[in-house]
Amino acid sequence: MRGQRNRKPSQQTDDRMLAMHMRAAQSGDAQAYAKLLRVLTPRLRHIIANRRRSLQPSDVEDLVQDVLLSLHAVRATYDPERPFMPWLLAIAHNRLADSARRYARHTAREIEMGMSDVTFSEPATNTDMQTYGAQTYGDPQALRRAIRALPPGQRQAVEMLKLSEMSLKEAAAASGMTIGTLKVSVHRAMTALRKALTKE
Amino acid sequence: METDRLIRTLAETARPVRPLPPPLASAALWLALSIPYIALVVYVVSPRPDLAAKFGEMRFAIEQSAALATAIAAAAAAFAATIPGYSRKMLALPAFPLALWLGALGQGCVEDWLQFGAGDLRMRPDWFCLPAIVLVGTVPALAMAVMLRRGAPLMPGGAVALGGLAAAAIGNVGLRLFHAQDASLMVLVWQVGSVFALAGLASCLGRYILNWDSIIASARRRAAVR
Repeated sequence: MRGQRNRKPSQQTDDRMLAMHMRAAQSGDAQAYAKLLRVLTPRLRHIIANRRRSLQPSDVEDLVQDVLLSLHAVRATYDPERPFMPWLLAIAHNRLADSARRYARHTAREIEMGMSDVTFSEPATNTDMQTYGAQTYGDPQALRRAIRALPPGQRQAVEMLKLSEMSLKEAAAASGMTIGTLKVSVHRAMTALRKALTKE
Repeated sequence: METDRLIRTLAETARPVRPLPPPLASAALWLALSIPYIALVVYVVSPRPDLAAKFGEMRFAIEQSAALATAIAAAAAAFAATIPGYSRKMLALPAFPLALWLGALGQGCVEDWLQFGAGDLRMRPDWFCLPAIVLVGTVPALAMAVMLRRGAPLMPGGAVALGGLAAAAIGNVGLRLFHAQDASLMVLVWQVGSVFALAGLASCLGRYILNWDSIIASARRRAAVR
């Protein structure tokens, strides 16, 4: 068989067994296919874990599944006259390289962020209320009074979008108002509330 | 999803598949699909009046044979690029006929220069070549794309560039059967230039034509793996 000249006899026997299962799988033998995939899974796990030592076991498993799906998708490209392992390894290495490229692109797009004042857990966000003229925002009674004093349209918009946390689409469906009207109403309501609470 | 469950689903839903033919056999099939269309285009556009005489000319025969050999070799290399485990040396297969093609045209330029002098080697615009090669190469290019998508997208840019080279080169073979432009410099610049431009464009489209995401998504759909 081509490409097998430099391989050990045990490897050749193993390859012949895998090739036989793959041939059977190509002709629709589900049992042979399941057996083949089960034999390949720990080998793939080993190859991937060795090549990408920094990966968590769950990430390794994701990559194993990715390679199995890739193998399944292109199983027609296996030529029964050729050795099996080079075919499998070409797919596995290609998928690993793809995943490494994806990872590199992902990390290149990520921006390291320090803790910012706008993060809710930061003390500045919670103590420096004067900055926003909102020292009375923490007073629920005052807020409730201010909301009750809003015109009905604005009050409804605030109740739905801010208190009930409905989406614009849901609020529009529930109230019969258009999304544009809702946006305007909630903006005006927030301005009015800010003014009312600052005065108090 | 657990790996064992994925294996069960894949095995249970796998349909029988016919192994893809070897690259040279795929190239022969691609050629068999392309030739009738090229013949039809040449017939519809009407062959050049001196075609029979041209086939008797050694230079024309060599250039056309080299262009055809480049197309076939590029097609075989493109198919090899989509088969896992195939030697990457196959990708260099079109280099020899391509060198022969460029060499024959280069030699033609030198001969024209020696015979007629530099004055007759002037370049004239011949914008007909690019759209004509696209027209003749359309069906070969579509057939190539469909056939490549049956393989594995191991190197999408390279495989599609080689496929584009094959389609454009065979398009150029067809073009010269109805376009009476034989000045070697003009052929080299406008026709071979168009072939390279189209192969380059194909290379840029490689990831859109061949990618694992779409192949795996359709495999998932077929296996109903969510």
